[in-house]
Amino acid sequence: MTYAVILAFQSLIREKWINLLSVLTIASGLLIISLALFTVYNIDAATKNLPERFSMILYLDNDIQKEKVDAAVGLLKKNNAVLSVRYIPKEEALKELKATLKNSSYVFEGLDENPLPDAIEVKLKKDAVGQETVRKFAGEVMKIPGVKEVDYAEKFLSTLNYLRVGMKTIGLILIASLGAGIVFVCYSTVKILFYRRDEEIETFKLLGATKAFIRTPFLVEGALIGTSGGVVSLLGIFAFYYIVLLRLSVSMPIFKAILFPTDLFLVLPFVGTFLGVTGAAIALGRLKY
Amino acid sequence: MTWANDGNNPMIHFSGVTKDYDNLTALRDITFSVEKGEMLFVTGPSGSGKTTLLKLIYFAEKPDGGTISVAGWETGLLKESSIPFLRRNIGIVFQDFRLLQNKNVFENVAMALRIRGISEKEIKTKVYETLKAVNLRHKADVFPRRLSGGEQQRVVISRAIVAEPTVLLADEPTGNLDPDTAEGVMRTFKEINAKGTTVLIATHNRELFRNSGRRVIKLDMGNLVAEERAQ
Repeated sequence: MTYAVILAFQSLIREKWINLLSVLTIASGLLIISLALFTVYNIDAATKNLPERFSMILYLDNDIQKEKVDAAVGLLKKNNAVLSVRYIPKEEALKELKATLKNSSYVFEGLDENPLPDAIEVKLKKDAVGQETVRKFAGEVMKIPGVKEVDYAEKFLSTLNYLRVGMKTIGLILIASLGAGIVFVCYSTVKILFYRRDEEIETFKLLGATKAFIRTPFLVEGALIGTSGGVVSLLGIFAFYYIVLLRLSVSMPIFKAILFPTDLFLVLPFVGTFLGVTGAAIALGRLKY
Repeated sequence: MTWANDGNNPMIHFSGVTKDYDNLTALRDITFSVEKGEMLFVTGPSGSGKTTLLKLIYFAEKPDGGTISVAGWETGLLKESSIPFLRRNIGIVFQDFRLLQNKNVFENVAMALRIRGISEKEIKTKVYETLKAVNLRHKADVFPRRLSGGEQQRVVISRAIVAEPTVLLADEPTGNLDPDTAEGVMRTFKEINAKGTTVLIATHNRELFRNSGRRVIKLDMGNLVAEERAQ
């Protein structure tokens, strides 16, 4: 094994330009993956707290009796998906509306009676705020006696859902395609290096070398190329954050809100190693010698 | 994998061996034996099949007909994975040297031992001993391209014998050498043979075995045309 490492290092130095090109290509691929992850991570973090602001309004029948309201509130509180329930009498609703529209008070001129119905505001638990669960919950709520109409931001939920699923899908496609690309780069590099050492390998075989003796240096070389690519991409993503984003945040405070998941990026060299060894192993498996 | 020769069987035995390359028959119905500890010459003009015969012995080629056994192992029955282990018992002096140009003399000779997984300490001792025996100790750090033809040939011999093989095969070992150097190389082979190694030398140079009293087999156009003792 030690000699395999020595041979791998000798080959790295001897074929420095091919190897350098491979390292930079792998580093670029991993850097793009990191930037995609970085974006997905920040969008995920930004949208994580949005469900807490989500609420449903249940409009009640006109002149509903207090017993019916209490019964409806009681039923809602028993539901596992519900975080909080607040009864809003129509007088309070009008007061809130007037407070909201205080700059447009002319809207209420000539209004003899309160046009708003009594309502109940329901806040759901974070986990229950999903497009399907909310739709199902709205259906159940409509069956409660006294509830006339349910209103909630359906569009907000679907946008949130699209945003999350979309970003994750794009992230996964990027990771898969660039991951495959990196494996292919390592595969091609090892194949080229193998052909360039064709004569040497033939001599090794005639001297009695096993396949393992011949293969191991190439696997080590693949690992070293992959790891180097990972380290360079790690330096790249740190440089991007500390040099670009932190400087920008001085003049544009919005950038201060961006999170940098250090732990997530520290695995980049190991990801590089894995992809490098995988590419080398595929190349060696396909070569006839 | 162990070297199976028990001493009673011939070290190398060809029985009705034929080898074809496309439409060309390189060897036709060859039968001969080499005893343990023997030094045998295979002679014949260029293209007579000498190199092919050696390649069949070190498993670089497979026969198209007949059987070959080396130290008791029938080559046709060998598994692919066994070949490296059996090759380790055969030292080969290649006609084209096959030296690793990017490694110095020490590393070239050491390679035969590294492949066997021998410790660095032992490699150092054995390589320097062998280089001393062929008078190349002082060239250990030199790269092959800086060596003369005779020196390169001695490096190849060192690599072939450093692991103390049971059989030593040499393909035109003096082809590029002047008479004095060729004599030195032959002296080395005789010394190796005297220690019990079976030696088989393929050469077109009759001077190498003249008056040696050694057994010689002669090939011509892939046929074994004569088997005699050199007088």
